[in-house]
Amino acid sequence: MTAVLEILTSDYGVHLAILVSLYLIVAQSLNLTFGLGQLFNLAHVASYAVGAYATALLATDYAASFGVCVVSSVLLSALFALLLGLISLRLSTDYFAIGTLAFSSVISALLVNWKSVTHGVLGVPGIPRPELFGIDFYENSNFLALITTIAIVSQAILYCLYRSPFGRSLRALAEFERAASSLGKDTPRTRNIAFCVSSGFAGLAGSFFSYYLNYIDPSSFGLGEMVFILTIVIVGGPGSFWGVIGATVFLVLLPEPLRFLDISSAYVGPMRQLINAIILFAVVWWKRDKLFPQRRTV
Amino acid sequence: MLSILPQLLVNSIITGSIYALVSAGLALTYGLLRILNFAHGHIMMVGAYTFLFFFTQLNLGLLASVLYSTFTMALLGVITLGIFILPFMRASALLPFITTIALGTMLESLISMIFGVNVRSFPSPSASESIEWHGIYITPLQIFIVLSAITILGSLAFMVHQTSIGRKLRAIAENRSAAESLGISAKALIYGACVLATLLGAYAGVLVGYETNIQPTMGSSYSIKAFAAMVLGGLGNIWGTIAGAFILGLIENLSIGLDFWGYSLPAGYKDAFAFIVILGVLLLRPQGLFGTQSRVA
Repeated sequence: MTAVLEILTSDYGVHLAILVSLYLIVAQSLNLTFGLGQLFNLAHVASYAVGAYATALLATDYAASFGVCVVSSVLLSALFALLLGLISLRLSTDYFAIGTLAFSSVISALLVNWKSVTHGVLGVPGIPRPELFGIDFYENSNFLALITTIAIVSQAILYCLYRSPFGRSLRALAEFERAASSLGKDTPRTRNIAFCVSSGFAGLAGSFFSYYLNYIDPSSFGLGEMVFILTIVIVGGPGSFWGVIGATVFLVLLPEPLRFLDISSAYVGPMRQLINAIILFAVVWWKRDKLFPQRRTV
Repeated sequence: MLSILPQLLVNSIITGSIYALVSAGLALTYGLLRILNFAHGHIMMVGAYTFLFFFTQLNLGLLASVLYSTFTMALLGVITLGIFILPFMRASALLPFITTIALGTMLESLISMIFGVNVRSFPSPSASESIEWHGIYITPLQIFIVLSAITILGSLAFMVHQTSIGRKLRAIAENRSAAESLGISAKALIYGACVLATLLGAYAGVLVGYETNIQPTMGSSYSIKAFAAMVLGGLGNIWGTIAGAFILGLIENLSIGLDFWGYSLPAGYKDAFAFIVILGVLLLRPQGLFGTQSRVA
């Protein structure tokens, strides 16, 4: 027991709590489009990357202030989502999945190759932690307080959205599009707003991710990361607010004991990936008949 | 600029042959089951590593290696279909896509743990020395790649259009329950087609290993490229997909090989082009370049 307490109050515990807070924002915002709206959005990690890179580049190359960086990350990611809306208006299910996958891959390719802007595979080093109201966020425990506040506020906003008339329209459009639209629900508008909000929150998380790590590179935003976020939402139950919170805590902490086992560090990454993939498969197998309510068509 | 055009065309045919082998299998399974197998590129990668294991690590000799690899990959094909695809068909078309993403991730991490994450290459055969013909350089290996792809895809064409098995497959693709009520054992044929698709992918993986090199992480990019070829040709349309694969090879090679107004694209952008092609076609012509049936997307 004392050992557990020691871990929780140590630097390592603080690090884990920051990771959980970041993933709460990313996963809960994907839950809005993928869970509630049943839009198979594989470009969420690209929104996260846009936010992270906006902050990283503004804070280093242009020495922009904290507020400017965070706001531009959120806005850029939200704007970026309008492109997703453009794809979703024309395509459904498997076509939409391929489209968002391709879209996300274009962003990955740009991060690696557009060296004059993104610094390529070398990444962006030396992102300074913010300093606000005389509080120095270089200290991890201070940073934790900041990111926890942001995470809780984001969860609260998303919770209200889930329960709002907007959330209900999104869910209705997913379950029975024609009936919902015949009742006057504006499909393109609802979905576009959902994409923008979801992507904006991913951008917010990305911004704090950059601030926290001080260094980002394209490898943090690959397909593997997308699969991890998707796993969180599926394990938590698409559309379930509290389920996704539980799944985030569970899945972020789950692979951590691997660090303490006597295995070569080259195995830790693949093993973590393997465990997540097995959990993803097991949960889909177990819940296969109720994971997505059958879409109804006329 | 035009002097390198013939060379670029030859390169496009070589790349296109490999893409065609990968994506033809994917199109075959999509046509029959209407599901996207995201693990197809990963299966291709596993095929390459399996052959590498039997041929260079165990030194089993060519024939034995081919036999053992074929058997291993056929088994993987059966597992993919029986465990990762069929049990999920009933609930939603998206579930098999998610489970094959899980399968692809599992295969990638397992291969990374067994063989390491580094780039591996096959021992270069004597056939990798270039021959020059009117300023075009090509290796005997590349000629072999193109000829074998033409032979294999030609046999596939013959099978699908001229044999009774092909007729049954087309019947299943068109209307499975009607086909089954006429006494066609759909399940056995679907398993057969899926094993065939796996073997085509694995063969393409081995060719990539000989032509360039292989890496555990190559799977998803080949999956996405095969999707690109399929989207170009129209989902589930095998001939369209094969044509799409060659067009994709052409676009990739021309995009980085030619210079536009004195400005040429860095080679790293080659992959991005496949993805931009998918987006463009999806938005402008969702039924594929050769599709006639308008699809309610």
